[in-house]
Amino acid sequence: MGLRGRVTLLVLWLLVLAGLGWMVSQRLKVSTDLRSFMPAPTTPDQRLLMEQVGEGPGSRLLLLAISGRSDAQLAALSQGLVAALKADKRYSQVLNGGFDLDALDPKLLPYRYLLSPTLDTQPLDEAYLTDQLQQRLDDLSSPGASLLKNLLPRDPTLEVLKLAERWAPPKSPELREGVWFSPQHEALLVVQTAAAGFDPEAQARTIGGIEQAFHALPGSAGAHLDLSGPGYFSMVIGAQTQHQAEWIGRISTVGFIVLLLLAYRSISSLLLGALPIASAALAGIAALTLAFPDVHGITLAFGFTLLGVAQEYPIRVLSHRRAGEDAVQSVRALWPLLLTAIASACIAYLAFYASGVNGLKQLAVFTIVGLLVAGFSTRYLLPHLLPRKVRDVADLPWLVRARDVVDRLPRPRWIPLVVALAIVLMLAFAPGPFWQNNLAALTPLPQDMLLHDARLREALGAPDVRYLLVLQAPTEQGVLALSEALQPMVDALVAKHAVDGLELPSRYLPSVAVQRARQQKLPDDDALKKALTDALQGMPFQPNLFQPFLDDVATVRRLPPLTPALYAQSPLGQRLASMLVQRDGHWLGLGTISGLHDVAAVQALGDQSGGTVRLLDLKAASESLVVDYRTWILQALLAAAVLLICTISFALRSLRRAWHVLAPMTLATLLVLAVERVAGIEISLFHLVALILAGGLGLHYALFFERDTGDPAEQRRTLHATLVCVLSALLVFGMLAWATIPVLRAIGLTVSLGVAFHFCLSILMAPHRPFQNPHASKD
Amino acid sequence: MFALLLCMMLLPWANASRCETTAAVATSSATSEPLIAALGQPAPARTAFAEARFLKVLDKPLVVSGELAWLGGDQLQRRVDHPNPETASIANGEVTLQRAGKAARTFSLSHAPQLQVLLDSFVALLSGDGSRLQQAFNISQTGEASGAWTLTLLPRDAKVAKAVASIVVDGYGKQSRCMQMQEADGDLAIDLLGSLVEKMPAQPTRESLQALCQGAH
Repeated sequence: MGLRGRVTLLVLWLLVLAGLGWMVSQRLKVSTDLRSFMPAPTTPDQRLLMEQVGEGPGSRLLLLAISGRSDAQLAALSQGLVAALKADKRYSQVLNGGFDLDALDPKLLPYRYLLSPTLDTQPLDEAYLTDQLQQRLDDLSSPGASLLKNLLPRDPTLEVLKLAERWAPPKSPELREGVWFSPQHEALLVVQTAAAGFDPEAQARTIGGIEQAFHALPGSAGAHLDLSGPGYFSMVIGAQTQHQAEWIGRISTVGFIVLLLLAYRSISSLLLGALPIASAALAGIAALTLAFPDVHGITLAFGFTLLGVAQEYPIRVLSHRRAGEDAVQSVRALWPLLLTAIASACIAYLAFYASGVNGLKQLAVFTIVGLLVAGFSTRYLLPHLLPRKVRDVADLPWLVRARDVVDRLPRPRWIPLVVALAIVLMLAFAPGPFWQNNLAALTPLPQDMLLHDARLREALGAPDVRYLLVLQAPTEQGVLALSEALQPMVDALVAKHAVDGLELPSRYLPSVAVQRARQQKLPDDDALKKALTDALQGMPFQPNLFQPFLDDVATVRRLPPLTPALYAQSPLGQRLASMLVQRDGHWLGLGTISGLHDVAAVQALGDQSGGTVRLLDLKAASESLVVDYRTWILQALLAAAVLLICTISFALRSLRRAWHVLAPMTLATLLVLAVERVAGIEISLFHLVALILAGGLGLHYALFFERDTGDPAEQRRTLHATLVCVLSALLVFGMLAWATIPVLRAIGLTVSLGVAFHFCLSILMAPHRPFQNPHASKD
Repeated sequence: MFALLLCMMLLPWANASRCETTAAVATSSATSEPLIAALGQPAPARTAFAEARFLKVLDKPLVVSGELAWLGGDQLQRRVDHPNPETASIANGEVTLQRAGKAARTFSLSHAPQLQVLLDSFVALLSGDGSRLQQAFNISQTGEASGAWTLTLLPRDAKVAKAVASIVVDGYGKQSRCMQMQEADGDLAIDLLGSLVEKMPAQPTRESLQALCQGAH
C-alpha cells in the first residue's frame, strides 16, 4: 500500500473512531444503580434488599455535626441550616431537635385532629375545652407566651405541639440552646435525602447542597460541618476509588509508554499500536449502548480491566516483525495463533452472556465485541499502517542470551505434580474463610469515619442501616393497620430495652379506619360551638377569637381521611413514602430500628405474627446475594473452561498440544488462588474477575510458547513479545497492587501474581524442543 | 422578658453608697452608665412582683403575682403564686415550665429571641456592665438618679425589635418600681415591683398602672 493509501486508511480509521466516540457520547447512559449489576434475587429477603438498596429510610439518612464555635453560635448555625434546607426538595426531612411547629404542611393543618391520638381518649367537650383554655391562660402569662400567641386562635388544644413531639426521634440527644448537641459540643442534625443512599452521584449533589447552604450562613466561617451516613460514605468511597485509580493509572500509563518506546524504538509504532485497543473500547461501549438502555459503571470498570488482553495483539505484531518483511506478512504468519487466542477468549466470555445476570451480560457483550474489534483491526488494518523499516528484535544480543537461558532451563515432567501438590497443601492450610461475602469489606471506610458515624448514630438515636422490621399486608391501609396493632408490643420492647427505638409507619400516618374513628368523635359544628361558648364563660378571651379553630374542626369533619398519596405532597409524607413499598400486589411497611440490643426479642415479634411481620437483616441478605452471585460466576467460569478446552483442542487439532497450553494456565490460576489464600486473603468477586483476565493473558503466553516454529529467531521474537506483554501487565497491575483501596489491590495483586505464574509455568511446561542445544541449531 | 424585669426588681438592693455617686441627670446612653453601674448585685437575690398583661387576644388583662429570683450566672427563676402556681426557670439557654400535676415543658430561649437577648442584658445590668447592655440596646435616661428616673431601652437587633418595641423601667432613687415591656404587636406587660406590688388594682388599666409607675413614691 502506497503512502497515499496508508494516509487514507489512517484518516478513515480515525474518522470511524471519531464517529463511534460521538455516538457513545450521545447515547451512553452510565447507571450507578448497584441493582442492575446484581443477579436476580431469589429469596424474599434478597428481593427486598434489592428494592431497598439505598432506598430504605435508614440508608437515606445523613447525620450532620457542626463544631468549632460557641454553643450559641452553633445553635444559630443549626437553625439556619434547617431553615435553608427545609424548602429544598432534595431533603424530605430535616431535624435538629428544634421546637418545630411547622412539621405539618400548613395545607394539611386541619388534619391534625385525625393524626393526633388526642381524640382516642378525649372528646372535644366542654370539660376538656375548659381545662385546655385555662391552661392557655396560664401559658399566656408565662414566659412562653410569645410562642403560643399566634397559634392560639387556630389551635387552642395545641395539637400541633403534640404532633411535633410525636414525630421527634424516639431517643433524642441533649438539647442545648434549643437544638441537639452531642457531648462533644457539636450541634447535631438529621437529614433524610430524597435521593437513594447508594446513588453516589445524586448523593454528591445532595451533600453539595447541604455544604453550600451551610457556607452561605452568616457565621459559618470557622465552624466545621461533618457529615456521616450511607449516602456520604458512598460518595467518599466513589471519590477515593476514582482518585486512586486515576493516580495509579497516570503513573502506569507513563511507564507503559516508556516500556513500549524502549522495546520498539518507534513513536509511530507506539501511536498506531494504540489504535486497536482504542477501537476495541469504543466499539465495545457503542455495542453496549445499542444493546442495553443503560450501562453499569461496574461493567465499564470490569470491562476495561478484561480488555487489557487486547493490548497484547498489537504487541505480538510489533515483536514478530522481521527485518525487511512487510508487516502484513508478519501478521499472516502470526494470525492462526492470534485467532485461536481471540476466538477462545470470546467463546469463554460467551458463558458470561449465558449467565442471565444483566451486569455479566453487559460485560460479555463489551469484552467480546472489544476483543473481536481489537483482533481484526490488528490483523487487517494495523499492518498496512506500520512503518516499513523496522528493527528486527530477533538479533538483539540480550534477547539471544535470554532465549538461551530459557532454553537451558530444566523442564522436568514432575513440575505439574509438584505445583499441584503445593496448591492442594496451601489451600488446605490457608487461614480464615475461603470466600469474602461482605462486599463492603472491599471498599472499607477509614476507621475514624466509622467511629464518627457510630458516635453520631448513638447520640442521635438514628436508625441502624442493618435491620428493618418488615410488615406485610395486601393493602397499604392493611400495613398501616398492622403497624397500629404492633405499636403496643413495640412500646413494650422499647420499655424492656430490647431496642432503643422502633419507628413504625403509623407513627406518621394512622390508618384510614383510625382516622375515621377520630372523625366520628369530632363534635358537629353546633355542639362544638356550644361547648366552646360554655367553656369560655368567665374567661377573658376576646369574643370570636377561636373562629379559626371552629372552622378547622368543621373542615376536617368533611375532609376525606388523609392517604399516603395525598400526604406525599408534603415533606413528612415523603418520609412516610420511604416506609411504604408496593410489591407484586401486596404492600410492605418498613419499620426502622435504632439500637437493637436483643435481636431474638424483636424476631419473636415476627414469630407471633403468622408471617406478616419479620425482622430483616440486610447484611445477611446482601451476603447471601453475593454468594448467589459468586455461584453464577463460578458456573459461568466452569462453562467457559469447558468451552476453552474444546476450542483449544479443536484449534490445535491435538489433545497433547492442548494439554501443553491448558495445563500451565489452569495450574497458574489455581496457584494464584492458593498463594492468596495462604496469605490470608479471602476471595471476592473482584479476585475472580481478575483471575479471568490473568487467565486470558496466560492463555496467550502458553499458546505462543507452545508454538514450535523450528525457527530460533522466531522463538526469540516470541520471547520478546511475551516479555513486553508480561512487563507491561506487571507494570500496570503491579502498581494497582500497591493501592490502599482493597478492591483495587485485589485486582492488581491477582493479575500481577497471575501474570508471573502464567509466564513461569508456561515456560517450564512448554514442550521440549527437538533442539536441546541452541548452538547446534544455529548451524 | 421577665429577665430584665427581674434585674430591675433587684434595684432596691442596690448598694447605697454606689448610688450616691450616680450622676444627677442623664438623658443619653453615655450618661446613663453611672446609674447602670450602680445596679450591680450579688447573687442570689429575690423580690416580689405583680404583673398585668394586656393582650390582643384577651378582652381584659391577665394579672399574676409571685416572686422573681436571680440565682447567679444566667440562671433565673420566676415563681407565680396567684392565680395558678407555676415556676419558670431559665438555665443553659432553656426555659422550663412547671405546673402542679403536669409534666415539665421545656423550650429554647432561641425560639423567643426577646427572652434570649433580655437574659444577656440582664446579666450585664446585674453586674453593672453598662457597655454590655449598650451592645443590645439604645439606652436613654430621664430624671435624676437621686429622684424619679426612667430608663428606656430600645433593642438594637432588628430581629428582636420585631418582637419587642421597647422596655421602660421606672424608678426612684435606688429603687426601681416598675417595668413595662411594649411588644411590637401592641401587647403590653406592666410589672409592679417590690413595695408597689400591693398597689396592683383589681381591675388594672394601662393608664392606671402607668400612672402608678410614674406617680406616688
